[in-house]
Amino acid sequence: MEDLKKLYDAILTGNFKAAKEITQQALAAGADPQEMVQKHMIPAMDEVGRRYEANEYFVPELLISARAMKASLEFIRPLLAAKGAEPAGRVVIGTVKGDLHDIGKNLVAAMLEGAGFEVIDLGVDVPPEKFIAALNEKHAHLVAMSALLTTTMNSMKTTVEAIKSAGVRAKVKIMIGGAPVTEKYAEEIGADGYSTNANGAVALARRLMAA
Amino acid sequence: MSETVRIRLRPMGVDIDTPRGTPLQDVLFSYGVEFPCGGNGRCKGCRVRVIEGSLPVTPAQETMLSADERAAGWRLSCQCRAEEDLTLELAQWEAQILADTSAFAFTPRQGYGVAVDVGSTTLVAQLLDLSRAEVLAVRSALNPQARYGADIMSRVAHAVEPAGRATLVKALRKHIGKMLGELLEAHPDQSRTIHDVVLVGNSVMHHLFCDIDVTPFSHYPFQPETLAQRAFTARELGWNLPGDPGVRFLPGIGGFVGSDILAGVLATGLHRSQDVQVLVDLGTNGEIVVGNRDRLLCASTAAGPAFEGARIYMGMRASTGAVSAVHVKDGHLECRVLGNVPPRGICGSGLVDAVASALTLGLVKPGGRFEDGGSSLMLCPPVKVSQTDIRELQLAKGAIAAGIRLLIREFGTTHEQVTKVLLAGAFGNYVDTDSARRIGLLPFESAQIHPSGNTALLGAKIALFTPPETFDELAGRIEHVSLSSLDGFQDTYVEEMLFPPAFNSNE
Repeated sequence: MEDLKKLYDAILTGNFKAAKEITQQALAAGADPQEMVQKHMIPAMDEVGRRYEANEYFVPELLISARAMKASLEFIRPLLAAKGAEPAGRVVIGTVKGDLHDIGKNLVAAMLEGAGFEVIDLGVDVPPEKFIAALNEKHAHLVAMSALLTTTMNSMKTTVEAIKSAGVRAKVKIMIGGAPVTEKYAEEIGADGYSTNANGAVALARRLMAA
Repeated sequence: MSETVRIRLRPMGVDIDTPRGTPLQDVLFSYGVEFPCGGNGRCKGCRVRVIEGSLPVTPAQETMLSADERAAGWRLSCQCRAEEDLTLELAQWEAQILADTSAFAFTPRQGYGVAVDVGSTTLVAQLLDLSRAEVLAVRSALNPQARYGADIMSRVAHAVEPAGRATLVKALRKHIGKMLGELLEAHPDQSRTIHDVVLVGNSVMHHLFCDIDVTPFSHYPFQPETLAQRAFTARELGWNLPGDPGVRFLPGIGGFVGSDILAGVLATGLHRSQDVQVLVDLGTNGEIVVGNRDRLLCASTAAGPAFEGARIYMGMRASTGAVSAVHVKDGHLECRVLGNVPPRGICGSGLVDAVASALTLGLVKPGGRFEDGGSSLMLCPPVKVSQTDIRELQLAKGAIAAGIRLLIREFGTTHEQVTKVLLAGAFGNYVDTDSARRIGLLPFESAQIHPSGNTALLGAKIALFTPPETFDELAGRIEHVSLSSLDGFQDTYVEEMLFPPAFNSNE
């Protein structure tokens, strides 16, 4: 469908209104919602992620693109659910206990959503019990945690340990991020992976889902 | 007449012999004194106080220095020559350490007092004659805790480790004690007794001087149990001072906002103002106060270290070799380098100027991206600004501008209603205000913005003449606002990361 190139452009440039209108028109004209997501929207957010990583886009551009994507998804999601279409994966995400810096976490959530994941965002200052309850209830495939401060980073370790003690570690993959986090730290605390930025988090989530 | 003259620098205790008639700039430069405006008499960065001998006042100095300052012996060293033997006190120790020479109203007391500004990066102490409120000597130094972490969060991280706090407290107390000893030596007077020592600093400095557990600063909600005024005797702190004076660390306000800001409010009179005013301390942890005599709000915002040249590709402190200013001339960028040496990096004020100039020339788009899609902008070889540097600056200025906007909104007023924007702290006093406006760091009109010097130190000096209860009462009147818990925090922050699209510098 030729017109759907416009949906790609609307998301890439963060045109919220256009994304919404094009989606409504396309659905009314009988476009396949799954194909819209797979062939136009996810590639648009992939390109947003590429530009972000290449320093061409910054936080504002990424967030307005994500907002345009969400505007479109609002119409598409119910149709996908009715068809029983599965998301790319279900992710429970939050900043760990003691940490309230959530812009990085929000960028990751937006990019994962843009990549076709179902994102359950628990917000900030999330205690281990809350992560565990959510991953059980939502049958999540992934847990994503972030901490911006060296002083709160240790809560990630506590959360991984709590997930183990709760006996659900084998059911989920754990990914972590945030300014002080390193590959080595991820290994040390027994997480499955880490990413330095939101675009890398999408690649990591895809890799963990495939593993 | 001897062909050489002797210049004594205080309180360094350095004696220099130099040919009569040598420009003081040449003499002082080789001793590490810097000339922020390039020795053109356009700033007061190189000022010296004449203790013995005399230096004539030139017209340039009449413009830059107030009558009080001139009468107190202050001169711009870049405008003077060594024509006779001189004893000079240097205002400048580290380029961005800001002392204070403002006059203020006071009720005379007997004896001597000391005011100390305990910054996370720098310490400044002044010895005062309490009968005249006159500054007799100044001493400044880098905060010795800096080797355990540059910013306050890394200090907190160190302090919560076993024995970490004891190390930091000991280092700080010992160093301030040493500075006080040097102040006394710089102004020898056998009959004198120190009556009072007042310290101000942010909340983490308060805890790490008074020896209080900093764990509450390590995690959400970042609220200390107490920021109350603490009193010690000099002896308790291990300081051997004549008269064993009382030592007070003034009370903080809330969260990270400490007595340095409280002192700033007192020094600027913001709490007595009929109109709404804003006080901003631009630093790694930016602090903002909005208010008037009826109501005062304050907040802190994590701006990161971009203003201090940290995490910037070629970033450096404002010292010799730093690009400290950038201007547009005939459609090109023109750089000023501190100390007339080849450029080797860029400091915070240079970065703000560079980006402001690049926006004016259309080299950088409002989103922060280079117009030509490149990865860097050459300023003056080899110094350049990278795309990542601009992103760091966007984060820093976004945090400050968003904090200002949210507090103004909470107060229920507008940017236009604010009569004065008072800039405290070193960076706020060195940055070009037009450039700060151009990048949207200070979204106000030129006429609203007033660089106000080291208001923390001035407030600490006023405290030497003020009953302690005044500070407790004032601290209790200022409401601390947690910015990130406000509605629309993220949206505001993200919007403020963008640069203003078009700008008229005559506005």
